[in-house]
Amino acid sequence: MAQTIIDAHNVSKTFNPKTVPVHAVQNVHVHIEEGEFVALVGPSGSGKSTLLNMMGGLDEPTAGSVIIDGVEITELSENKLIDFRLHNIGFVFQSFNLIPVLTAKENVGFVLQLQHMPKAEREKRVLTLLEEVGLEDKINSKPGELSGGQQQRVAVARALASKPKIILADEPTANLDSKSAANLLDIMAKLNKEEKITFLFSTHDQRVIKKARRVITLVDGKVASDVQQIPS
Amino acid sequence: MLFQIAWRNIWRNKARSLVVISSIIIGVWAGIFILSFSWGMYKNNIDESVYIQLSHIQIHHPTFKEENDSKYTITNTDEKMKQFQADNRIASVSSRVISPGMITSPTTASGVKIYGINPSSEVTQIRLNEYVSQGAYFDSGKENEMLIGEKLAKKLKVKLKSKVVLTFTNTKSEIISAAFRIGGIYRSKNISLDEVNVYVQQKHLQELLELKPSESNEIAILVKDEKELDTIKNFSVGVVPNGKIEDWKELSPELEMIIESFNLYTYIISGIILLALTFGIINTMLMSVLERIRELGMLMAIGLNKRKIFIMIMLETFYITLIGTPIGLLTGWLTVTILGRTGINLSMFSEGLASYGFSSMIYPALDHDKYVIIVGMCIITGILSAIYPAYKALQLNPSEAIRKI
Ligand SMILES: Nc1ncnc2c1ncn2[C@@H]1O[C@H](COP(=O)(O)OP(=O)(O)O)[C@@H](O)[C@H]1O
Ligand SMILES: [Mg+2]
Repeated sequence: MAQTIIDAHNVSKTFNPKTVPVHAVQNVHVHIEEGEFVALVGPSGSGKSTLLNMMGGLDEPTAGSVIIDGVEITELSENKLIDFRLHNIGFVFQSFNLIPVLTAKENVGFVLQLQHMPKAEREKRVLTLLEEVGLEDKINSKPGELSGGQQQRVAVARALASKPKIILADEPTANLDSKSAANLLDIMAKLNKEEKITFLFSTHDQRVIKKARRVITLVDGKVASDVQQIPS
Repeated sequence: MLFQIAWRNIWRNKARSLVVISSIIIGVWAGIFILSFSWGMYKNNIDESVYIQLSHIQIHHPTFKEENDSKYTITNTDEKMKQFQADNRIASVSSRVISPGMITSPTTASGVKIYGINPSSEVTQIRLNEYVSQGAYFDSGKENEMLIGEKLAKKLKVKLKSKVVLTFTNTKSEIISAAFRIGGIYRSKNISLDEVNVYVQQKHLQELLELKPSESNEIAILVKDEKELDTIKNFSVGVVPNGKIEDWKELSPELEMIIESFNLYTYIISGIILLALTFGIINTMLMSVLERIRELGMLMAIGLNKRKIFIMIMLETFYITLIGTPIGLLTGWLTVTILGRTGINLSMFSEGLASYGFSSMIYPALDHDKYVIIVGMCIITGILSAIYPAYKALQLNPSEAIRKI
């Protein structure tokens, strides 16, 4: 049996607990195993981003714990957490994913450099990654010169660069037209299959949901349903 | 990589960065200009004091100045003068016999300081001949010829060729009165001294004081290069072993104070300018940090720790100061060098300056150590103004920042 890679245990998040409490996430239990391809769906405001941020260690739960690959990240100090993220978690956001002053190649290489990968090895890996997302002809373009879809593909390549165990993507297709969105999802699915990387992405786009093999639905910060499906 | 990102970041908003850089350039330039201009003015005054009054070095009998009595003399003056004249680091040397006394005209009397001089040597020493406004500079050949200041002449109500009487005590403590004829009237740049200093032939005064021809009260030395001042002072000790040897700073402590206070002035002026710049830089950098909250959040999310974020923002600010400061220094230095040669003519702005003893030509100048102070202050400014925006960036919470995405 596959190993548990994300274990969100009874996680809750309340914003402004003292003034106007907002219970963004309430008592959520989620287990995700290595190699899964999971969509986190739900209406706007249902707590998707909050849950993803807690799983990625960007936000601290008010209650409960998050265990990534056996490490309880809710216990880590801030700098340890940043280091943990660098090596274990890839992020793709809805926008502002890339460093605007760096080219596609440099953006992807940046994380590798933070991990002190030697230059020659780094260059090779960056090229492989950009090829995998189909951007081998855009390596020297800056984000401003790329389309939204291309930028998101660079972001996926960047997220992959550090060989993370999981990639958390918060509405990665929200700003994309349907063709680019489908294309991005196909790339993610391919990487999931070929490189055994666990993907957890939030979305409320029906066409994107269809590509997932498991769909977790959040309503009002609670898990409303959690089903396996055959992607189409 | 951080260096590269920081460098590129400052060019994202070219106009804004250029405005800050320009303000640094202008600020540093203006600071240097103001300082060099004031120093030029001070220096002018100091030079005038040194070159038309004090000379670089004066030598006296150790008790002469305290007692103010001409019996305290330097002996063998001629021989000593020859040794000084033989030294080619020395531009000019003069000996003087000095006595306090009283000048009396038909209408009134006044206390004076009587200088017995060798007229020809004072031409190079204090350029006394250049200040003669009426009459001539010791050309009658008569031993009782005398040169007095315009102000004193007015006070005594005397004119050229008038006869006056000098009364003073000789070295035997006898009171001596002698008649002199005014051969010339001078007007120097130091009007208060014009009222006090009167000049007569040295030989005649020596006789009246009953001094030996080889005795004098003062030896004044002008050096060619002021850097040699200390070596020449040491050399003078050898020539006049038991004399009291003082340089112009010791002779005129207020000049020394002007120089000292100028250091403080340098700190204050550059401090004010740089403080203003600091606020400008901090303001701009804060703006640039706040604009990039989401980007900074993303950087933290992908694994840039806070130390690196701090360094990155510090570097951005630092680069901006690093570009602006050298250009400001260079333009300032060029301005000082050029204007230091051509001078700035103030007479078109103010005719009154000269009457206060200021020359109407100002030659801006700034010593190297002042540039060092300015560079030091700029570095401090660069660091101080870099810290705050970087510190502000640290206080960002990545999840808060990210949520804005
Ligand atoms: N920093 C915050 N302060 C207060 N309330 C917040 C904050 N962030 C999110 N929320 C609230 O938490 C709830 C869940 O938000 P979010 O996780 O962004 O939902 P989703 O991503 O599904 O749209 C919303 O009601 C939202 O208004
Ligand atoms: Mg969201």
